[in-house]
Amino acid sequence: MSTIVECRGVAKRYRQGALSVDALRGLDLQIEEGDFASLAGPSGSGKTTLLNILGGLDRPSAGSVKIAGEDITKLDNNALADLRLKRIGFVFQAYNLIPVLSAVENVEFILQLLGAPPKERRARATEMLEEVALAGLDNRRPAQLSGGQQQRVAVARALASRPAIVLADEPTANLDSKTAEDLISLMSRLNESSGVTFLMATHDQRVIERTRRHIVITDGRIASDERRTRPAS
Amino acid sequence: MLAALAWRNIWRQPHRTALSLASIIVASAVTIFLLALQQGAYGTMEESVLRLLDGFAQAQPGGYADDPDLNKTIAKPETAIARLKEIKAVTVAAPRASTYVILSNGDRSFGSAVFGVDPSAEEKLSTLAGTVKEGRYLGPDDENAAFVGAGLARNLKISTGDKITMLGGARDRSIAADVLTVVGVFSTGSPEIDRQVIEMPLTRFQSDFAMDGGANVVAVGGRSLADIQAVLPALRKAAAEIGLTMRDWTELEPALHDVILLDASFSALLYVSLVVIVVFIILNTLLMSVLERTREFGMLMAIGMRPNQIGAMIWMELLFLAVVGAVIGVAFGAGLTAWFAGRGIAFPDAEILFRQWNMPSTLYPDLNWRSALAGPTAIMLSIVFAGVIPYLRVRGLEPVSAMRAV
Ligand SMILES: Nc1ncnc2c1ncn2[C@@H]1O[C@H](COP(=O)(O)OP(=O)(O)O)[C@@H](O)[C@H]1O
Ligand SMILES: [Mg+2]
Repeated sequence: MSTIVECRGVAKRYRQGALSVDALRGLDLQIEEGDFASLAGPSGSGKTTLLNILGGLDRPSAGSVKIAGEDITKLDNNALADLRLKRIGFVFQAYNLIPVLSAVENVEFILQLLGAPPKERRARATEMLEEVALAGLDNRRPAQLSGGQQQRVAVARALASRPAIVLADEPTANLDSKTAEDLISLMSRLNESSGVTFLMATHDQRVIERTRRHIVITDGRIASDERRTRPAS
Repeated sequence: MLAALAWRNIWRQPHRTALSLASIIVASAVTIFLLALQQGAYGTMEESVLRLLDGFAQAQPGGYADDPDLNKTIAKPETAIARLKEIKAVTVAAPRASTYVILSNGDRSFGSAVFGVDPSAEEKLSTLAGTVKEGRYLGPDDENAAFVGAGLARNLKISTGDKITMLGGARDRSIAADVLTVVGVFSTGSPEIDRQVIEMPLTRFQSDFAMDGGANVVAVGGRSLADIQAVLPALRKAAAEIGLTMRDWTELEPALHDVILLDASFSALLYVSLVVIVVFIILNTLLMSVLERTREFGMLMAIGMRPNQIGAMIWMELLFLAVVGAVIGVAFGAGLTAWFAGRGIAFPDAEILFRQWNMPSTLYPDLNWRSALAGPTAIMLSIVFAGVIPYLRVRGLEPVSAMRAV
C-alpha cells in the first residue's frame, strides 16, 4: 500500500483586511491508497480548507503537501490545474455539473480536457455512467436529473480520469437520507471494486458509519484518526 | 467541445442573447444603409458636377491648375487626344481653351469666362449641351457662334439670333475682339455657371486669341468616374509622356472634394459612436453573465480546466455573438439597401439645394462590397477585440474565491 496524500505542518491563514483567521494550524495527515475515509468536525473547523489544499485548489500558508509523492506547494497555477485534472476528483455539495452539457457530456468533458480521442471518451463516459447506475440517462441535462442523480454524475466524472484520490466535500448534505444512503453505498462499492481512494468531509453520521477510517478535525488540527477494519453495514 | 459549450452558453439567456444580437444586427444594417446612401450621394454629386463641365480628369500644362493662363498651352492637342484615347476606359477626350472676356450688347457689358470647345467631342463629355433652354447647342459647322448661360443672357438682354461683342486679351498680347451670334441659351440650375459661362467653337477661339492651333486642356470622359479613377496611373503616365500633368477630379473640384471629406469625417464619427455603443452593450451583457457564472467557473477550475481555457470559452461566446449578429446584419442591411437602391430615395425638399450641384433629387444607395461589409466588419472586430476584457477578468479568477461567490 502506497501513500497518496502526505501533509506535514499544514497551516492556512485567511486575511480579510485587518482580520485574520487561522483555518488550519499545523496539520499532519497521511492518506493511504484505497482508504475510504471520512473527515468530520464542527462547521468552521477547516474541513473545506483542507480538502481545497489537498486538491490543489488553494495553497497552504505553511507546511508541505505531497500527492503521490509530488510536493504540490511548489506548482504554478497551470500545473495545479493539470494536477486537479489528472490526479484529483472533486465532488462538491452542489453545483457540480456544467448545466448546458448532458450527463454523458459532463463526464466526457474531463476526458476531452485530458486529450482522449472522441470515440474512446464517449465509450468511457457511457461506461462510467453505467457504473454509477445511470445507464439510459446519458442525454439528460443536469436540470432534468434529481439531486441524487446529479451527485452520481459528479462521482462518475470524478472517477473518469482515474484519479489518485476523490475528495468529496459534504456530498450528501443536499440529499434526503435514502438518496444519501444510496450515494454512500455507491462510493463504498466503487472503493471496494476498483480501489479508488476517497476522502469525504461530512457531518452525516450515516456516512461516517460507512467509512473505514474516521478523521476528526477541530480548530484546524487533527483531533482523532481511527481505523475500523470492518465498516458498519 | 469548448466551442459547443460556448455556443450553448450563449443560449442560456435567450432573451438577453436576442437583445445582444438585435443590437448588432440593427447597427450593422444601419451602417450598411447609411454608408451606401452616403457613397451613392457622393458618387451622384461627383458625377453630376464633373459631367457638367470638367470631365472626370484633365490633361493640363504644368502649373495651369494653380494659374489658368491662356499662355500655358498644349501646342498639339490632337497628339494628346490620340495618346489619351489609347487608354481603354477613356471614351472621349475633348480639347478646350478658355479665358476671361468682356461681353457687350449695346451699353450693357459683363465679364464672362469663354470656353473654346470642339462641339462634337463636347457633346459626349459634358451635359451642358443637354441643358438648352432656347435655341440649340453649338454644331460642328458653327463659326462665330456662342452658347450662352441664361443668367448672362438675361443680364445682356439677349436671346437666340442676337449678336454680342467679345473683347479680351489674346495670347500674343494683342487685343482679341469678335462679334458672336447667340445660337442657344443654357440653364444648368447653377446660378454661377449660368451667369458666367459661354461656349464658342474652338477653331474660332484659336484664331481670335492667337492660339496657333493650341488648347489649354484636354478633358477626359469615361463611362463612369470610377472607370476613370481606376486608370488614373495610366492616364498620369500618358500625360507625363507628352509633357502634361493629369489632374484627377479632386484637383479639378477641390471644394467639392473638401465638402465630401468633411461630410465623410462627420459620418465616420457617427459610425464610431454606433460601434462604441454596440460594443458597450454587448460587453456589459457578457460581463454580467460572467459575474453570474463565477461560481460555475470555480467548479470548472476545480475539475481541471485552466483559467485561460475558461477565458477562451468566454471569448468564443463573444465571437459567436459577433459573427452571427454580423452575418444576419449584413443579410438584413444589404437586402434593405438593395431594395432602396432599386427604387431610389426621393428628397423633394432638397431639390433646390441639389440643383446647384446639377444633382437629381432622387438618390440611389450604392451597395457594394465596401458599403456592405465595412460597418459590420468594424462592429465584429471591435466586439472580438473588446473580448480581451472578460478574458483577462476570467483568467485572473482564483478557484477558491470563485467557488465561494454567490
Ligand atoms: N476564503 C476565505 N476567506 C476568509 N476566511 C475563510 C475563507 N475560507 C474559509 N474561511 C474561514 O476559515 C475557517 C474554516 O472554514 P472551512 O474550511 O470552510 O470550514 P468547514 O468546511 O469545516 O466548515 C472558517 O472560520 C471560515 O470562516
Ligand atoms: Mg465546509
